Amino acid sequence: MRYDDITEAIGATPLVRIDPAVHGLANVDLYAKLELLNPFGSVKDRAAWHMAGPLLSGAAPGDTLVELSSGNTAKALALLAGMHGVPFKSVTNRMKVPEIKELLLLLGAEIDELPGQSECLDPTDTDDPLTRMHQRLAASGGGYLHTDQYFNERNVDAHAYGTGPEIVKDLDGRAPDYFVACVGTAGSSTGVARVLRQHHADVEVVGLVAAKGDFIPGIRTIDEVHEVGLFDPAVYDALETIDADDAIDGLLTLVRRCGILTGPTGGGAFQGAVRFLRTIDAGLTSRKTAVFIVCDRVESYLSYVRDRRPELFGRPPRRNSAGTLTGAELAAAPVLGVGDAQRWLTETNAVVVDLRSPYAFQALHIAGSINIVDEVFAELLPAGLPFSRRRPVLLVCPVGEKSARYSALLTRMGHPDARSLHGGIIAWRDAGAELVRD
Amino acid sequence: MLSLTPRIDTNLQSLLDDHEFLAELLDALGSPLNLVLPRQLAANVAAFRETYRRHRLGGRLYYAHKANRSGALLRELAAGDTGVDVASLGELQHALGAGFTPDRIVATGPKNREFLWLAARTGVTVSVDSADELAELAGIVAGHRLPRVPVSLRLAGFTSTGVRVLTRRSRFGTPAGRLPELLDVLEKHPDQLELTGVAYHLDTVGLPEKAVALEGCLAALDACRARGLRPRSLDIGGGFGVNYLADGAEWDRWTTELGQAVLGRRPRMTWDGHGYGLRAENGTLRGTLALYPAHRPVSGAAYLDRLLGTPAPELGRPLGELLLDHMYDLDIEPGRALLDQCGLVLARVLSADGDAVRLDLNARDVSLEEHGVLMDPVVIPRTGDRRAGPAAVHLFGNLCLEADLITRRTVFLPVLPRPGDLLAFVNTAGYFMDFSATTALRQPVARTVAVHRSGGRHRWCLDEQYWPVHPRQETR
Repeated sequence: MRYDDITEAIGATPLVRIDPAVHGLANVDLYAKLELLNPFGSVKDRAAWHMAGPLLSGAAPGDTLVELSSGNTAKALALLAGMHGVPFKSVTNRMKVPEIKELLLLLGAEIDELPGQSECLDPTDTDDPLTRMHQRLAASGGGYLHTDQYFNERNVDAHAYGTGPEIVKDLDGRAPDYFVACVGTAGSSTGVARVLRQHHADVEVVGLVAAKGDFIPGIRTIDEVHEVGLFDPAVYDALETIDADDAIDGLLTLVRRCGILTGPTGGGAFQGAVRFLRTIDAGLTSRKTAVFIVCDRVESYLSYVRDRRPELFGRPPRRNSAGTLTGAELAAAPVLGVGDAQRWLTETNAVVVDLRSPYAFQALHIAGSINIVDEVFAELLPAGLPFSRRRPVLLVCPVGEKSARYSALLTRMGHPDARSLHGGIIAWRDAGAELVRD
Repeated sequence: MLSLTPRIDTNLQSLLDDHEFLAELLDALGSPLNLVLPRQLAANVAAFRETYRRHRLGGRLYYAHKANRSGALLRELAAGDTGVDVASLGELQHALGAGFTPDRIVATGPKNREFLWLAARTGVTVSVDSADELAELAGIVAGHRLPRVPVSLRLAGFTSTGVRVLTRRSRFGTPAGRLPELLDVLEKHPDQLELTGVAYHLDTVGLPEKAVALEGCLAALDACRARGLRPRSLDIGGGFGVNYLADGAEWDRWTTELGQAVLGRRPRMTWDGHGYGLRAENGTLRGTLALYPAHRPVSGAAYLDRLLGTPAPELGRPLGELLLDHMYDLDIEPGRALLDQCGLVLARVLSADGDAVRLDLNARDVSLEEHGVLMDPVVIPRTGDRRAGPAAVHLFGNLCLEADLITRRTVFLPVLPRPGDLLAFVNTAGYFMDFSATTALRQPVARTVAVHRSGGRHRWCLDEQYWPVHPRQETR
């Protein structure tokens, strides 16, 4: 396929059948609409292009594209804006996925994080982020192109013209009996549902929302959906709740067993779909079809998964790491008090290694010492001793705790004279010993 | 039943169970009545100290006096090792009189010349908001030939790189970018002013903003050192928060239902359909919930712990470790968090007619609503009889004003109160007890009594009679 422009590659995504051995449903064929195969990596490519296209083609010099988004919409808009030479600004309540934040910066986006709630209540401060953004846009006196994804009908249209008809076409002109979708801006679920019902009035549409207080990227919580202008409860035959655990369980099933590299949103959609369909599967008398949407890809959510399931990233303990020290080794760590250390340093010409952060080291340190921040030191040790055994070493940290651990570790690694400054550099300072700033 | 059950610890509960004691107190001293529990403070101080210990940090904990006027609470703290943050001339006098030595006092907030003079005369640390204030202080010290005064510089308006972290504008503190002006004043008055450190206080529950500010202060301290000054502390202010509710599920349910009520999808659950900041526009919920997050699992010392574990946005290392690396003291100014579980407000029920319960106190005597904290009062029946419940009621105050509702929320109580019963508004020592109390309409302002337990029973004295001079057998 040959295109003149990457935006032509948006849409026409495959519909892939999920192996019944994976979902275990006897009477339902379950299909995944692989929106992750859009060129920018998510279902949001469609809405972003449909909303931003007209704005960008009419952009005046100096205009900035702006949207309240902390995820895939921002990513797609940043790329589209870049193609048109227009700056993009993402306003966000809180960026919760660090990889997306980094990626947006890489794409050249500007990110504004709105302030958190005040600790002492200001009852007059009742503006929601969107209203606050509208005020900022109005106060700036123009120059902003706002896609307004939570209220913009073109968000819904993108799916009513694209995603929905594609599903019907791939099912040989028939709408599925069940459609399960996560509710974010409500754009994809509303648009697809509209088309499916035109073909099959009885299609059952299940909206998935996150449990209150939980966080699944791209899904609103049961309360937050009511803040979305495009959200109309009448679209959904049922609203079901899923949580982050469901999303990760579904993600694992799809990536490990189906070859579908989904993020947590698609994982949640799969898990929610299977849970819902299981309740009706046994009572079905004829074969049914169900479709869910795989929204985006897993790579951006490694830290999201790691925070919630650290065991999935478990590795064997590394050689020469401080975590493998025994209580006896720690107790035997060679330490020196401030007075003894001062004498010892003049007698032995030992090297002083300061394990604190570089900024703190540069502000004040023991004269003649060298700075290897503890994280770097820990990285060096698995490869062996980073200094000669013939030169005594005095390790220094703030209170003498980390330095004692590393002196025990160096001793275990065969260093004959690695000592720790007892009480650390704070004890050194409190004893009135000399500290310098170079 | 849309209850918002308050979190009550064992000591406060044992006081609430002592119906006779509470009824006698109210009969003798009138309604409303404030009860403070000074001996509860030790546990809250210890929790903060434990966080310090875990991060191996030193530094002072300054009680933000503005949270409560009580002398008993102040004197009890003076007996321990905490300091106090005073924000007015009267608070400074009160703290000095309670036994705080000047090295344990920091003067913050808006200051007039008299406040500055007494601070300088006694040698308390002055947290300075601007270059003008710093110059004025130096002038007072020089003019009255006073010894050098310790000062800390309150900064604001920190900038972040990469992602721009926005913060609400503050009327306090000097923009961080104008630190050099402050240092110029300090250099001009070496015999009048001695720099102890820098400070910030942000009115937010957001950790990212505080992380930016804390890291900005570290850079400021470095700038001070580069100018040859010897700062030793970083004061991060307060705002550690309190968890008011026993059950997060109740809070979640209540806030969800409020949204539904505002959208008109369920019956009203507030007086006049008040939305607490939420409003409906074309079937969509707009606005934001203008309420304190009453269920806050990470609050107080645990919030401090979380902040110290947060990576510095620029340097990447956890903030607590950076402080330790730099050998700076960490000073904090908790108010609300230090007073957790340290007091309650009692009021008498005047009448209960249908859903209207009239109380002999007003919304300013227990300013929960003003501060957006929603939690249910505890009913203390006058007699031990059984009665009907639960009851959905509105709580009306004793002022001749339409707006004098103790809360605009419909309150669900386990039993229907009767005239003569008491209602206890628990955990109100921090900001909700006497913060806004007035004698408007010549209604009396509550008396405050200090309560403790000894010899197996509760004892009390007037707040001003309380001194932390406990016979040895009472200290256990």
